[in-house]
Amino acid sequence: MNPKVNIVVVVDVIGALSDGTLLNGNLCMIDDGEQSTGQGTPELCTVVRPGQVVTWSALAVDLQTPVEIKGITFLGADAEDGDADAEATDAGAGAGAGADGRNGQSGQNGRGGRNGHGPERHNPELEVWSGVVPQLAPGVAHQYRLEVQMYEGEHSTLHIASPALMCQ
Amino acid sequence: MPQQLAVIVLVDVGNALESRTLDGNTYLFDNMKLQGSENQGTGELVTAISGSYWSDGSQASEQVLNWLPYSLGSIPPTVPRGYEAERARQTDEQALTELDHLAATSGTSGTDAAAELSRIRQSAGRRVKTTRRTRGRLSGQKVLDVTGKVVSDGGTQAHSYPAPVITDIYGQAVDEKVIYPAEYGSPDLVTDGWYWSATVDTSRPGTYAYTMRIQLHQLVEQGGESLWEPVNLTCESKIRVTTEPKRNAFTKAGLGLLPVPPRAFS
Repeated sequence: MNPKVNIVVVVDVIGALSDGTLLNGNLCMIDDGEQSTGQGTPELCTVVRPGQVVTWSALAVDLQTPVEIKGITFLGADAEDGDADAEATDAGAGAGAGADGRNGQSGQNGRGGRNGHGPERHNPELEVWSGVVPQLAPGVAHQYRLEVQMYEGEHSTLHIASPALMCQ
Repeated sequence: MPQQLAVIVLVDVGNALESRTLDGNTYLFDNMKLQGSENQGTGELVTAISGSYWSDGSQASEQVLNWLPYSLGSIPPTVPRGYEAERARQTDEQALTELDHLAATSGTSGTDAAAELSRIRQSAGRRVKTTRRTRGRLSGQKVLDVTGKVVSDGGTQAHSYPAPVITDIYGQAVDEKVIYPAEYGSPDLVTDGWYWSATVDTSRPGTYAYTMRIQLHQLVEQGGESLWEPVNLTCESKIRVTTEPKRNAFTKAGLGLLPVPPRAFS
């Protein structure tokens, strides 16, 4: 078993911001897991095992466009945010709030330490989206809500809730 | 951040040539406003470069700077590369047609052949002499204005300038080995096939100045011929490098279990 699984989120930032959605081919997900399904789509289901380290990272199709992962929130069994509405969101809405402890934070505020960079701002570039897979009910797709941020402002954040992790 | 960093150097070529300085005639922009760049659209740009490091102190992300010089008062670099050559050919053909017409009508009364020839010469424009030092996109072509019309007297009429060319990047940031600039070949013809780029050592935060040597071209008359004379000027700018530690987004500290809500095992 590979001790690590990498999940890459590839975003066409211009397409996503123009369409106002991460669907329509504006986002695809790929991993290096062994039995995953939905490769190259927003419905990626990554097959994992307890103890594996999963790492998410975001890449822009156009290298001169900014994109970062803003949040990954695992949804509960009811998965009320399971619809891939992919609208501009206010962080903090949706199921599993608090799971990552940073809901409700806008792109403007954040923690200190900007070395004199004027108004302080949350810098998603510093975040490493990585974690150890806990014991999970096997055969169940644990969907998660994936928020991506493209530059800043009211319409800069979009999300999908279609990808999942699944233990066999 | 995988985003490539770009600095646009927009030069008011006409005024810079007239005043022989880039001070007050250069407008700098970058795509790092979100990261804290200051004085966008002025000559005093301070480009913010945000680095990051792992818990062991090693550099976590690589930042790459690109410089793109643009010209105010020129035919946009995005028009097809053969545009100037095409316009020169079209005006030559038009002049030949008009000469044909003149030859056919010169015998008839009421035709001032000399005046007509002078008019044709005006509308045909003039080619710029190419020398070893002035090879470039506009060399050997006719002088055009920004609307693509030929200009017969570049000394007095408004005309388009060749795009500015960065010929060197040097100064404090380079001397202190914070940036490593070099010129690279590019398949992008908008930059005439070349561009300046640099990797940044983000491990040493601070503000560092650098200087760009920029070559402009002035249309001069020499021995009855027009040619583009290179004029070298310099322009200073600054980068501000910061660096911060990476951290786990789920735990805000080190690696931990993924926060997956529990489900019943079947």
